[in-house]
Amino acid sequence: MACVYIPVQNSEEEVRVALDQLPRDASDILDILKAEQAPLDLWLIIAREYFKQGKIEQFRQILEEGSSPEIDEYYADIRYERIAILNALGAYYTYLGKIETKQREKEEHFILATQYYNKASRIDMHEPSTWVGKGQLLLAKGEVEQASSAFKIVLEADRDNVPALLGQACVEFNRGRFSDSLELYKRALQVYPDCPGAVRIGIGLCRYKLGQFEKARRAFQRALQLDPENVEALVALAIMDLHANEASGIRKGMQKMQRAFEIYPYCAMALNYLANHFFFTGQHFLVEQLTETALAVTNHGPTKSHSYYNLARSYHSKGDYEKSGLYYMASVKEINKPHEFLFPYYGLGQVQLKLGDFRSALTNFEKVLEVYPDNCETLKSLGHIYVQLGQIEKGQEFLKKAAKIDSRDDQAFTDLAELLISSDTSAALEAFKTARTLMKKGGLEVPIEVLNNIGVLHFEKEEFEWAQQVFMEALGDGIWLTLLDNKVNIYAIDASASILQYKDMQLFRRLEEDGHSVELPWNKVTVLFNLARLLEQLNNTEAASILYRLILFKYPDYIDAYLRLAAISKARNNLQLSIELVNEALKVNGKYSNALSMLGDLELKNDDWVKAKETFRAASDATDGKDSYATLSLGNWNYYAALRNEKRAPKLEATHLEKAKELYTRVLIQHTSNLYAANGAGVVLAEKGHFDVSKDIFTQVQEAASGSVFLQMPDVWINLAHVYFAQGNFALAVKMYQNCLRKFHYNTDAQILLYLARTHYEAEQWQDCKKTLLRAIHLAPSNYTLRFDAGVAMQKFSASTLQKTKRTADEVRSTVAELENAVRVFSQLSAGSNLHLHGFDEKKINTHVEYCKHLLEAAKVHREAAEREEQQNRQRQEAARQVALAEEARRKAEEQKKYLLEKRKQEDEQKRVRQLEEHFERVKEQWKSSTSASKRRERTENDEEEGGHSEKRRKKGGKRRRKDKSSRSRYDSHEEADMMDDQEEQEDEDANMNYRETTHQMDDQDDAAGENAQDLLAAAGLEDSDAEDEMAAPSSAAARRRRALSESDDDEQPNPMRDNIDELHDSDGEVRDDNDKPNEDAGFDDD
Amino acid sequence: MKLAGLKSVENAHDESVWAATWVPATDTRPALLLTGSLDETVKLWRPDELELERTNTGHCLGVVSVAAHPSGVIAASAALDSFVRVFDVDTNATIATLEAPPSEVWQMQFDPKDRLNFGSTYAVCCMLKYETTYKEWKGTTLAVAGGGSASIKLWDTATWKLIASLSIPRPEGPKPSDKANSKKFVLSVAWSPDGRRLACGSMDGTISIFDVARAKFLHHLEGHSMPVRSLVYSPIDARVLFSASDDTHVHMYDAEGKTLVGAMSGHTSWVLSVDASPDGTGIATGSSDKTVRLWDLGMRAAVQTMSNHTDQVWGVSFRPPGGNGVLAGRLASVSDDKSISLYGYS
Repeated sequence: MACVYIPVQNSEEEVRVALDQLPRDASDILDILKAEQAPLDLWLIIAREYFKQGKIEQFRQILEEGSSPEIDEYYADIRYERIAILNALGAYYTYLGKIETKQREKEEHFILATQYYNKASRIDMHEPSTWVGKGQLLLAKGEVEQASSAFKIVLEADRDNVPALLGQACVEFNRGRFSDSLELYKRALQVYPDCPGAVRIGIGLCRYKLGQFEKARRAFQRALQLDPENVEALVALAIMDLHANEASGIRKGMQKMQRAFEIYPYCAMALNYLANHFFFTGQHFLVEQLTETALAVTNHGPTKSHSYYNLARSYHSKGDYEKSGLYYMASVKEINKPHEFLFPYYGLGQVQLKLGDFRSALTNFEKVLEVYPDNCETLKSLGHIYVQLGQIEKGQEFLKKAAKIDSRDDQAFTDLAELLISSDTSAALEAFKTARTLMKKGGLEVPIEVLNNIGVLHFEKEEFEWAQQVFMEALGDGIWLTLLDNKVNIYAIDASASILQYKDMQLFRRLEEDGHSVELPWNKVTVLFNLARLLEQLNNTEAASILYRLILFKYPDYIDAYLRLAAISKARNNLQLSIELVNEALKVNGKYSNALSMLGDLELKNDDWVKAKETFRAASDATDGKDSYATLSLGNWNYYAALRNEKRAPKLEATHLEKAKELYTRVLIQHTSNLYAANGAGVVLAEKGHFDVSKDIFTQVQEAASGSVFLQMPDVWINLAHVYFAQGNFALAVKMYQNCLRKFHYNTDAQILLYLARTHYEAEQWQDCKKTLLRAIHLAPSNYTLRFDAGVAMQKFSASTLQKTKRTADEVRSTVAELENAVRVFSQLSAGSNLHLHGFDEKKINTHVEYCKHLLEAAKVHREAAEREEQQNRQRQEAARQVALAEEARRKAEEQKKYLLEKRKQEDEQKRVRQLEEHFERVKEQWKSSTSASKRRERTENDEEEGGHSEKRRKKGGKRRRKDKSSRSRYDSHEEADMMDDQEEQEDEDANMNYRETTHQMDDQDDAAGENAQDLLAAAGLEDSDAEDEMAAPSSAAARRRRALSESDDDEQPNPMRDNIDELHDSDGEVRDDNDKPNEDAGFDDD
Repeated sequence: MKLAGLKSVENAHDESVWAATWVPATDTRPALLLTGSLDETVKLWRPDELELERTNTGHCLGVVSVAAHPSGVIAASAALDSFVRVFDVDTNATIATLEAPPSEVWQMQFDPKDRLNFGSTYAVCCMLKYETTYKEWKGTTLAVAGGGSASIKLWDTATWKLIASLSIPRPEGPKPSDKANSKKFVLSVAWSPDGRRLACGSMDGTISIFDVARAKFLHHLEGHSMPVRSLVYSPIDARVLFSASDDTHVHMYDAEGKTLVGAMSGHTSWVLSVDASPDGTGIATGSSDKTVRLWDLGMRAAVQTMSNHTDQVWGVSFRPPGGNGVLAGRLASVSDDKSISLYGYS
């Protein structure tokens, strides 16, 4: 047992003091020491002993007593011991200051320590231990440079002074010159091989910093061997184990850390690491306790920062963003340079992002990025923030960079793709696909959302098969497979109840009864809906409807499914069912503007005008007028109303048009690129006659509308065609109508065919007009207006053919046939009107019938005339041939005569010759008379031609014609006017009928124009009637003349062949329907 | 079940081809394809090379439908001018011209019921001349869809007199308006294979079933809301009726039980024509979407889509079996693109 002997003054005796039995009260010892005037080194020994035993108070008491002024006086000569006591006190206070966390007390301790050291210096300036102590103090205060100079002073005097060496090593370490520090430690160890483990720890730390981990580890282990309870060594080794990043290493590390904690529970480093560990194991309570302790025991910035970080992280993971934000903040505050400890910046950024403080988050993430410019997570976060801040491009840039850096990060690709969806669908699709491939490679299950997005993007790009595949992949296994397999068709539906087929849920109940589980996980609803939408696009509406119904069966509040079903039944023209379905949707949400808009649409289709307007209003109100569809619909409503008015009140029309225009404009202001509003505005402008402007608008809309699956605007094509038509550019109008028919309607739209026919009509292409109308009738057989128009077209064709100056017999014959058809069409309509099959006025149709019949009569005369003319041509040819034959005969006869001349006498010869000549002369005269007759006929024809020209000229020009007509009316003017009225009334009715069926925005204009056309038709037709009558008279006169002439011919030149031809022609007339040409040919052959 | 293109004739007519049917084979010649067009002609084609056999003229305005008697001896064609012309297939002699004003004429079909009997009797008297065969098709009936008259007109093929007019009952309402009537415009007509039932399809999508023997309306089949342009009964099941409608769907009804057995979608535009294969396992449809589709009734799905036409396909028709040992199935389609196509069906 160690003990000290205090020599008793003035004697040889000594007081033996067992060091392990020092009295609790230091005063006892002090009394002895003072009384016996014990040497100062004894004081020190005893104080140190107290210190070792942890009796700090006693230690301080003794030392303070030992440094008191009395002692100084008494022991004035014993300088070294006095200095030692002072230094011990200085070291003690330095230590106190070092561990003190409160700034003010820390300062106080340091001040005391400084005072003691200064006192010591005053005793001896050159005492190295004082300098070492001062150095330590400066180190503790963080004044590294000054500490270094203090140590250097010592080392200059004695380069092997161990404490100074250690101090300097510490300085170098703090300066970051680890190799220098290592050298110093090594020297200290060489000088004093038995120095405590702390030196080895210093070596270990240097080595660690220098990256020599194995050597560092050995150093720590050595330190631990020397002192198994060396906390620093333990912690250091533990950290090294932890960083080894192996499961076993981590476990070992944690064990060591735990032991360190057990040995000394106030080592902040160990606490932090333990907290870190418990954070990962999820024991947040422990994390908090540990870090709080750590914070209490340390003043070291980085360590505190780490502790705060741990706390913040704990709160962060618990979702307490406010608190974690504060701690991250505290952690960041403890850090001087971001690159020392970046995590809290990142965490702070995350929390701020979460709390919506994008700007601050941005700065924090950017700090992280400065240190790690290639950190994917940070890049992604930054990308997101930029997107949130509306700087899409910058966001994309970051995400692209992130995806590029880590080409295996599916998340980066997913994010990037989501970002790209709105701007570049192709790129988005590519990114999604990459993400999917990466996830599959990584063995991860691809999230449904990603698959859904891929599917939708394929869908948008019209790659329907791909889209379907992806959707099916996303859906996986489920009841829908059974449904899509068409196996459910075994359940027949009662046909009388089938009107409700899109509301029918029985199917699923039956499936359930049959033991199928009809389940639909919530996260698959959207995919299923998209799949159904796709099937709809692929025209597999049946399957689509089943899927929609499945969604509704499980989620009756899924409004969009109702609306899609309504849309399907609307497409199938089942308006009643469609309205019911929309009403179901409205039951779920009465303010859902899409549903309201759809309802309005349906009501309009159902001819429920007032209701429709109310509904559109409601839709518009439901969105505070922001829903452009509702506004547009209201605009359309006004437009329709403007033209619908039965009485055609111009005032009302103007107000409605004005209102429509206003509404379209309002939409255009909200959405400058709304095609439909632009189209509507164009229509109103066209309605007002500004064709050039409207044409420009339509052309632009048409260009913009081309190139998207979801955007199909046939209306604008029609409108454009209407404008061309109105401007008289018929060829272009025809082309436009035809393109529209082919492109959008599979040539099935009778209405457009009607427009087309009207254009042909105006362009006077009668046959095209008729064919077009026949096609339209074929498509819409119950539209009797088309038949009427066809009749008019045929009538017009015939009239115009008869007006032609040069016409072949074939032409006239086809005219007659056409007129017969027209008569038939009109008489059928007339017969039908008795039964009120359609809304035509019987009187008007009868007028047409009468007129056509009348024309037919005239035409028949024409035909006869033409046929006769044809005959005559043949006769003429025949006559010419006869003459030729006669000539030949004469020549032969002359030869014969010459031959005879030789034989007979001169007189006889002369006589015969004269006789023959006389005969010849007669023949010649006959021939001449026939040619002069034909000349005469030509002249009359020319006259007719002139008349015809003037007729034609008169017919040019659109509306002017009506005026012309009134000024020109000299024939039946009264009747004509009456008929016009009838006609107009009729047209109005027609217009209304058409109008209800109408789907095109411009239809009304069409009706208006169509009406014009029909007015014109009527006008023209009746006009023709006078023209024809006019024509018929002279031509029949001419025919009579001709007849007379041919009769005279017949008399003089009987021709057996001609009768034959006549006969043939007659039979032609009878069987003309069957074989026309063959017979004629036969006639020629006979010739 | 498969279609294979055999032959196409471009510009088979000068204008759109609107109607097609097969004239069954007689002992002297194989089955012929009969087509009608907007160009006002009716043409006969000899398979498989589709050589033009003859061109019949005589119609004004477009020919909208053609029908052949099961005997293959006579046929009828109808045009927009509302005349029906009945003619001898081999000589083109006009046998009768039918008209029932003010009713229009739309689709037509001969009563198929005594067709099987005919086969046997014909075998006996085939050596006799025309007179005998003429007798054979006496007594059967021609059904004609009567358009705006909302009725089916039945013509006796012996006397060529109108024997009955089967009217769709007027919808009960306070005032039957003009519009309601035009909605009932009858477009299509079909005989059940046993000849006991007649079905007709209207503009408004309703299908009406009649009892022929009692000349009585039985019931409606609902489900379509757009024009039903073509109807056909299954050749193997007299209850099963197929309908083609503008709503892009083909429906399969149990016409007796008033039930909708199935709805088949897939065409992108109007379905203009439907015909059932002679074996009863499939149907073919022609559509405005320019395609011809073959549907497997077992799968209730389209198994093949032919898209060789460039415009609306107005008619599809399976060749009836029979004739000089010809067993191979044939399907013909005609289109607005003026062409005719022939496919092998197997």
